[in-house]
Amino acid sequence: MNRLQSHLRGTLSRRQMLKLTASGIAGLAASSAMPGRAMAGGGDIAFWGTGTLDIGNDWQRAEDAGLNVAFTDNGNDPGPIVARLVAGNANAIYDISGLQGGAEKELATQGAVVPWDTRKIANWDKVWQWAKDIPYLTVDGNQIGLPCVVNADSIIYRKDKLGVVDSYGVIFDPKLKGRVAMEDAWINSAIFTAMYLKEAENAPIVEPGNLTDDELGLVMEFLIKHKRDGQFRTFWNGWEQGVQLVADEEVDAMTGWEPIVLEGQKRGLDVAYAAPVEGYEGWGNNLLLHRGAVERGLGDAAHELANWIYSGFYGANLSQSRGYVVPSDNNIAYAEANPGEFDPEPVRKTVDHVRNKFSGKVYWQNTRPDNFQLYEEWWQKLRNS
Amino acid sequence: MFLIRRGLALSLPGFLLILLLGAVPLTVILVWSFWTWDPATYWIKPNLSLDAYAAIGDAGRWSVIVGSFGKAFLAALLCLLVGYPSALAIHFVASPRWSFVLMAAFTIPFFTSYLIRAFSWRLVLGRTGMVNNFLMQIGLIDEPLDWLLFSDFAVMVGLIASYLPFVIFPLLLSLRKVEPNFLAASQDLGAGFLRTLFTIIIPLTKPGIFAGFLFVFIMAAGSSTEVQMLGGAGAPMISIMINDVMRVVNFPLAFAISAVVIVALFTIVLAGNRVFGLTKMFEDFK
Repeated sequence: MNRLQSHLRGTLSRRQMLKLTASGIAGLAASSAMPGRAMAGGGDIAFWGTGTLDIGNDWQRAEDAGLNVAFTDNGNDPGPIVARLVAGNANAIYDISGLQGGAEKELATQGAVVPWDTRKIANWDKVWQWAKDIPYLTVDGNQIGLPCVVNADSIIYRKDKLGVVDSYGVIFDPKLKGRVAMEDAWINSAIFTAMYLKEAENAPIVEPGNLTDDELGLVMEFLIKHKRDGQFRTFWNGWEQGVQLVADEEVDAMTGWEPIVLEGQKRGLDVAYAAPVEGYEGWGNNLLLHRGAVERGLGDAAHELANWIYSGFYGANLSQSRGYVVPSDNNIAYAEANPGEFDPEPVRKTVDHVRNKFSGKVYWQNTRPDNFQLYEEWWQKLRNS
Repeated sequence: MFLIRRGLALSLPGFLLILLLGAVPLTVILVWSFWTWDPATYWIKPNLSLDAYAAIGDAGRWSVIVGSFGKAFLAALLCLLVGYPSALAIHFVASPRWSFVLMAAFTIPFFTSYLIRAFSWRLVLGRTGMVNNFLMQIGLIDEPLDWLLFSDFAVMVGLIASYLPFVIFPLLLSLRKVEPNFLAASQDLGAGFLRTLFTIIIPLTKPGIFAGFLFVFIMAAGSSTEVQMLGGAGAPMISIMINDVMRVVNFPLAFAISAVVIVALFTIVLAGNRVFGLTKMFEDFK
């Protein structure tokens, strides 16, 4: 059954959707995406990933493995990405995705993505075991996601003002009323709060990344109370806003991404990244194999790309350029074997730093908890409080 | 008659385009708001359900809609208060050269992206921003004023700065239609500036006032950047709420919220037209 037949055999609502949107809006999107897509056939792979996975012109190096990679930024917003993969045209245009972990089960259940065969990935045995064990990567014993980039987030804080911070309690400390911030996203802020309540307050929470109705209510009521008390200066969105909050001394502590610390330090501020006793929020950006790629006969090429990603060049490149880490032993080995291309020391430092974070307690971020629509309802209540 | 026919023929493609780009999407939104989510296809299926409209009553979504309209109303009103004297100055006081300079001054901020415009207010109103620095330097305050940023005040500053020109242009258009003879007669009869303003100029520019108000009101009601960048923790707005809802693929609810907003805005336009006679703005073009 070819792709056209597959579409025609879809359900009524899907056909209507395709008529109404794919022929119009999605058609425009497709036409704009097509020039970026590699030519059909052979090892031409269209990679639809989070912008941070992009290595720009260096994708040409995948030609060594017989691959022609065309990368397109997917915007990193799980909702629209999942919707476009399942009901939109993403499966028809792109071969693999790079997506924040959590949506694997949903995508596999809907048949939008298919399992990887790790036997076809020679470098799989070089991937760190704890990264292979990320809970969302397997569904019913099938390897749906491959860990592409991993890291762990916590708290950015002003060391000169607060001393050494080692707990999320600083975010909820009344003494810092109006001087702290969290992200304007339940994906991160709910899990940070749940981790704090579970570990520091002994709240009855089992899995901070996948809260039940009652657990979610507990977490969000806690956040609502603190918001009403004026605890938060703001909720921030995006890199530049996060940097500005720290650099312009709007807050003394906030949950967020480690690169913001580096940006603050560059501007001469005494900012640090906490190693909280409650643990880090681990996140993985995972590779997903699209059903459409296999239907187009690109399954083996996609596996070859996954293997190339773990082969060392890509990991060393991302570590050096962005400070991100591909969970593989090959990154440092590649940098050491190719000192003309990469300075091995910073690569080693970055890789070791991230690996050390995972030596302690980590709760995994989940972009698609079981009650994700309830999360949105509670987030709305928080906004209105 | 020939000219009218030619004019109609020439304008037909434009009308069709407006219909296609404006009316069709609005109709689709309205229809889809009654459909229901189908987990099997991960899309909505035809139905005649009011569930999505009922869900607007949950989680305080109504208050977001009402609150957004409130913010937009206040922003439009403040824009009018600032914009009306500016329009009067441009029309009656400034020379053609200065009129051009003043108009340029209002439009130059639009040469940059709305994102940058909103973000720059964070640098002006922040704890280490220009305003706080100035107030501390002159000894008026000892500590930075926190409420200048991440507050309703900051949101209002951002909205007014963003949308002020949209109130000035219709006002200028309206002022051009005020017969100079009326003003001269008023002066001859001994009326001062304020009396002339309130008895002649403002009544005659009512359509422009409403048009300007409407432009700002509609754009402010649909804004999100200013609120997200300058508002307090998780400040709500209709467009932010729709975005939140779309993120969890609750499409019917997103369409229902949009439909309610569209109907409310249409009602305001129609009611305003009845009261303020918006169509009078175009009368001298006939």
